[in-house]
Amino acid sequence: MTHIYNSKTPFERAALDHVSLKISSGSFTSLIGHTGSGKSTLVQHINGLLRPSSGSISVGDFVIEPQKKKQDLKPLRARVGYVFQYPEHQLFEETAIKDVCFGPMNFGVSAAEATKRAEECLTLVGLPSLFWHRSPFDLSGGQMRRVAIAGVLAVHPEVIILDEPTAGLDPHGQKEIMELFHKLNKNSKLTIIMVTHNMGDAALYSDQILVMEAGQLKMSGAPEEIFSREQDLRNMGLDVPETMVFLDKLTDKLGLEKGRPVFTLSETADRVADLLNGGAAHV
Amino acid sequence: MFNLVIGQYVPMESRVHRLDPRSKLISVFLFVIIVFLANSWLANIVLLLFCYAGILESRISLPFIFRGLRSILVIILFTFFLNLFFSSGGRLLLSLGWIHIYQNALIQSVFIVIRILVIIVVTTLLTLTTSPMEITDGMENLLSPFKKIKLPVHEFALMMSISLRFIPTLLEETEKIIKAQAARGSDFTSGSLKNRMKAIVPLLVPLFVSAFKRAEDLAMAMEARGYHGDTGRTRLHKLVWNRRDTVMMMIMALLAAILILVRVSGCW
Repeated sequence: MTHIYNSKTPFERAALDHVSLKISSGSFTSLIGHTGSGKSTLVQHINGLLRPSSGSISVGDFVIEPQKKKQDLKPLRARVGYVFQYPEHQLFEETAIKDVCFGPMNFGVSAAEATKRAEECLTLVGLPSLFWHRSPFDLSGGQMRRVAIAGVLAVHPEVIILDEPTAGLDPHGQKEIMELFHKLNKNSKLTIIMVTHNMGDAALYSDQILVMEAGQLKMSGAPEEIFSREQDLRNMGLDVPETMVFLDKLTDKLGLEKGRPVFTLSETADRVADLLNGGAAHV
Repeated sequence: MFNLVIGQYVPMESRVHRLDPRSKLISVFLFVIIVFLANSWLANIVLLLFCYAGILESRISLPFIFRGLRSILVIILFTFFLNLFFSSGGRLLLSLGWIHIYQNALIQSVFIVIRILVIIVVTTLLTLTTSPMEITDGMENLLSPFKKIKLPVHEFALMMSISLRFIPTLLEETEKIIKAQAARGSDFTSGSLKNRMKAIVPLLVPLFVSAFKRAEDLAMAMEARGYHGDTGRTRLHKLVWNRRDTVMMMIMALLAAILILVRVSGCW
């Protein structure tokens, strides 16, 4: 299965300007770009929340075109889940578990099956079962976020769109949430499309990175490829992961050549060890 | 999706924009009263001309205002037909089954439509040419005599400016929550009435929760910056009553005089 997104959207102020891209199923794609670059607008086309002004979007065999007026988007939305920015703002039910059931039951799943799914998903996101029957508004911000994410996962989508899933969480919570999506991507073959401002997350978890600026797709490729073009990124007001910043500073100090980009801490440690050994050999 | 012209503010440069909010508020208040003096063709034409002149002076494009009126077209049509079918008097013009249309009813209906139309145009013109802050400042100033009898005028004005300030924020929030729930399969736009009513709950609960939270945050932020109510408060923008405001008052007095004259003299 291939997804072809081909949205050309002169959307008011041309929020998206002739964007054309492909995301293969089972991949982890990150969208980076400055605030207002059209990232969120782009991903909202994928499950039909926004309609293109021209062009088309295909998700599997589902095609969204501007001409089609009324169209039943429910089957599409059952397949493409969307975790909004600060998703905890969408909670409304009396208990956490009921809120998680809301999605599946909207898509015609029976109450018993929905409860089963909800329990699975709440376990998956790491919410202890003693919180399941409490009001979502009595939970902490991080726990509410987990409930909201479980609510999207419980629909059993094939594709999940994440709009800054870790914004406003503590570092520990951020890591847990990212690990969860990484696991879902690797083990359950869930296609993940993530909008993020965190270059470290984008580099660490993605197969593909898309760079947006002023409604246009400026770059796309593997993380190594994107983050090697450091100057281009800086020109767009974007950064590179901290591991790279650190290594650049180090190579600068030692007066050595810049190396290939690395993103994980252990790779960085290896590189540092190499550099120091190499540096020592020069003396 | 929320395309409302009524209540919007269009920042521009024009004589109407430059008027003191107090003179505009008084004018609109007077206008809404004197509109009810008009019970003849001549008086209604005067009202329409006054509105047209106001729109021209404000430099806001006529089509823009008409676009705003479209949203209340249903109300206007409803009133028109209600009056047309259910009042009587004068010559019988048309008789279709149980519907009888009389001449006076037709004239009355047209007058009522004009009345609604000019009232809405004038109040829209007020909000289009006056920023919400100016309006509340003007209100507070005009109502300040009531402070003597211990009416909380300042608090009232503050409440008004806060609610006006948060309308766009809440609309944005609503749109976001609609999208978030739609992504979870909730459907606000189709299905039976019962299902649609049910779909409102997942929208309203988060909206209220966030509104309460915002209110709490705002109160905290205001207190942190030393807000302590009305007494001893100074303003950044002082209201200034200019010559043009006096002229505006004259125009309103003239309009009232004309309408009274037309009514008393009993012209058509």
